[in-house]
Amino acid sequence: MQTKIVSKNFDIPHAEMLEVALQNGRYGSLEKLSTLKPQELIDLIKQSGLRGKGGGGAPAGVKWQLASDFEGTKYLVVNADESEPGTFKDRQILAKDPHLLIEGIICTCQAIGANISYIYVRGEYEEFSAILQRAIDEAYEKNILGIGSTYKVDITVHRGAGAYICGEKSALLESLEGNRGHPRLKPHSPEPEFYFGEPTLVNNVETIASVPFIVQNGAEAYRAYGTKESPGTLLFAMSGHVENPGVYEAEFGLGMWEYIQKLGGGVKKGKKLKAVIPGGASTPILPAHLVYEAKLDYESLRDLGSALGTGGMIVMDEDVSMVKALKNLLRFYRHESCGQCTPCREGTSWVDKTLDKFIAKTATHEDLEILKSVSRSMNGKTICVFAPAASSVIDGFLKHFESEFLECIV
Amino acid sequence: MKIIVDNNPIECQEGALLIDVLLDNNIKIPHFCYHQDLGADGNCRMCMVEIKGQKRPQVACDTFVCEGLEVSTNSASINEVKRSILELELLNHPVDCPICDQAGECKLQDYYMDFGLYESHLSTPKTKKSKHIDLGSNVMLDQERCVLCARCTRFTTDITKTGELGIIGRGDQARVAIAPGHPLNNPYAMNVVELCPVGALTSKDFRFQQRVWFLDSAKSICHGCSRGCNIIIDYNETKYTSEKIHRFRARRNNAINHSFLCDYGRLSYKELNEKIIAAPCNMETLKELLQAEKKVALASPSLSLEQLQSIQEFCKNYKIELFSLPYIDESFGDDWLKTNDKSANFAGVKELGISTCQDDFNSSFENAEIVLNFDHALLKQQVFKDKTLVHFTATPCEGEFVFAIANFAHENGTLINCEGVRQEFFGTKYKSDAPRLRELLEELR
Repeated sequence: MQTKIVSKNFDIPHAEMLEVALQNGRYGSLEKLSTLKPQELIDLIKQSGLRGKGGGGAPAGVKWQLASDFEGTKYLVVNADESEPGTFKDRQILAKDPHLLIEGIICTCQAIGANISYIYVRGEYEEFSAILQRAIDEAYEKNILGIGSTYKVDITVHRGAGAYICGEKSALLESLEGNRGHPRLKPHSPEPEFYFGEPTLVNNVETIASVPFIVQNGAEAYRAYGTKESPGTLLFAMSGHVENPGVYEAEFGLGMWEYIQKLGGGVKKGKKLKAVIPGGASTPILPAHLVYEAKLDYESLRDLGSALGTGGMIVMDEDVSMVKALKNLLRFYRHESCGQCTPCREGTSWVDKTLDKFIAKTATHEDLEILKSVSRSMNGKTICVFAPAASSVIDGFLKHFESEFLECIV
Repeated sequence: MKIIVDNNPIECQEGALLIDVLLDNNIKIPHFCYHQDLGADGNCRMCMVEIKGQKRPQVACDTFVCEGLEVSTNSASINEVKRSILELELLNHPVDCPICDQAGECKLQDYYMDFGLYESHLSTPKTKKSKHIDLGSNVMLDQERCVLCARCTRFTTDITKTGELGIIGRGDQARVAIAPGHPLNNPYAMNVVELCPVGALTSKDFRFQQRVWFLDSAKSICHGCSRGCNIIIDYNETKYTSEKIHRFRARRNNAINHSFLCDYGRLSYKELNEKIIAAPCNMETLKELLQAEKKVALASPSLSLEQLQSIQEFCKNYKIELFSLPYIDESFGDDWLKTNDKSANFAGVKELGISTCQDDFNSSFENAEIVLNFDHALLKQQVFKDKTLVHFTATPCEGEFVFAIANFAHENGTLINCEGVRQEFFGTKYKSDAPRLRELLEELR
């Protein structure tokens, strides 16, 4: 049931070492790379239908084209600030197959015409960052990177300071520039991101790690997996009440419940399924009856009123209190709101504080109304999608599990 | 180009910021973070408008006008959006208006009256932050009153580039702060008080002095240097006292000072409040003194064109040699507003053809029996045994013959600044205790 494209070397011992990586096919795409012009590479990615795997699912080729077309010194920034609760797929790549990422970076840099690349690693990923750095050092020694290499790509690893919002690409760039990690105002027309005013491509680790396969095997080989709109594979992950939590790569379009049962071993201790948060904390929760319908692709989950997000599923069994679960999530949002926009800064803390009353079972009907109205105030009125995400989380819980909240009202 | 705002066509420039167009046309658009001299930041989300064809409300500070744009600023639905965001702005605010200096000129109060008027829904404790923090340079911070619009931090980051202020902490713990041991310390620091739309930043100099609704305002020009920054003089007359000036505020003029003032100029209002104790002077005695043979006059280069013209005429009548010397302070100027020439109208002196030659003045002064000093600082603190000095002064000055005159806060006049810009200024509505210079000279004709 698993389809191993990105995770092909995950089970090979010491695949993070260059010698082992080379024996197992890493840097195999570089030969093919030399035969392709930059525009041909971008077209290849467009044909493959590769979608950003950081949660948004935007077509990668379009972003590449924007960065490539814009005048200036190009930069590639790899977003490894994986902080979404329930998501732990990128760290598998950093820890188990960093050379795949380096290979992907070389390919991508070649496509957009960049020589300098940054990997922005989540602050808490000290251990994985060290593994990645060792791999980069080895690649420099063997002239795969750096001035002596064919493609003259430089990679710098930058560790964040632990703010979730720095995973938002414009906040990430602000942080990388040395500023406070605040998202920037969105552009009015399509344009690339900018790092110190220069055109920059920001892609998720897994997106970049998918590139070597496409370069080596062609767009059709990638399209052989997944669905028409969501081609390829994703490193789906499971946590929570499953027998075998972990990261299992699979093609898009599988049944969610089938995935949880077959790869995750089903709900822990044979209990009944209550709900699943499908793709990291920021996607609206799906109650059990929708989980049975859901397919693991962008379109299916969108139609069910949720989103695929990062594919990091949080499985909840029948004993989970939805009030406590929402409180847990809102404590996170309150703590991680960057504090820039008023609705988010004040809204997340107000909801979090109000939920305390539900936990204490001292809430009133007006408190329930506050949850709903603050959620409305947060939706669609801020610079970035943090507040709308928090809002959709609240709405999702109230839509499917309002009765549990009503039980907490005195 | 035309856009439609609330069903009315409005003329505007293609590509202009929508909020500028609305502000320029006096259409009510609430905003905290946007400032015409700091630009857009987009954090407060108060300036939301409905735009035809857009499914979500948009912020006017990040919308550029284009042909056919249809905007609604006061529909029921957009007013509900503004109300809900204002409610969030005010959620953890201490609502301590009775002891807040900003009361009366506070945007939170104004917008609450315009768009709020709701009952508080808060049933949980407010978030606590620190109060009365001394940031340095006369600026006090109350973090609980702050709406985090970042105007102050953007001022120190983008305008003065001194970077003393920053926002620390995330989410509801975010607050404006200075780094330990690095207070707000630049010659323009007090602008942040005026930029602050709420009572978070207050001036140590002004706080607890006056309620702003008791103040009158006069449109004037700062006399601190030759830049000619446009100011508003805030003053009043309270019980048992004569008029008092309480503060200078910047008056927006994009050609000169935008919305800013230096602290030196801002605090220079203090000398306007100083009382001049002058010995009662007899006009007849003065007229007798003026019969002397060798007379020289020195006029302050900060007097208005009108005053200088009267002095010129007066000196011509009495055959007095007239000079004016600039107030040069090489350590004062900078590359922004402050200039080394601390006289307000030296360009005016030159335009009137008054001699500004130091050597000529020195030799004339050497021989003179009578020296008339028209408010020039140079002669005020000195005593000359062999000469008779007659002072016409707007600041305290010692001497035998001292005529107090009204200072510029009580004058209307014209100044020419260092860049040759001719600007009018207006005095307060109260009459000064001292007569105006021109009235005195009229008597001496």
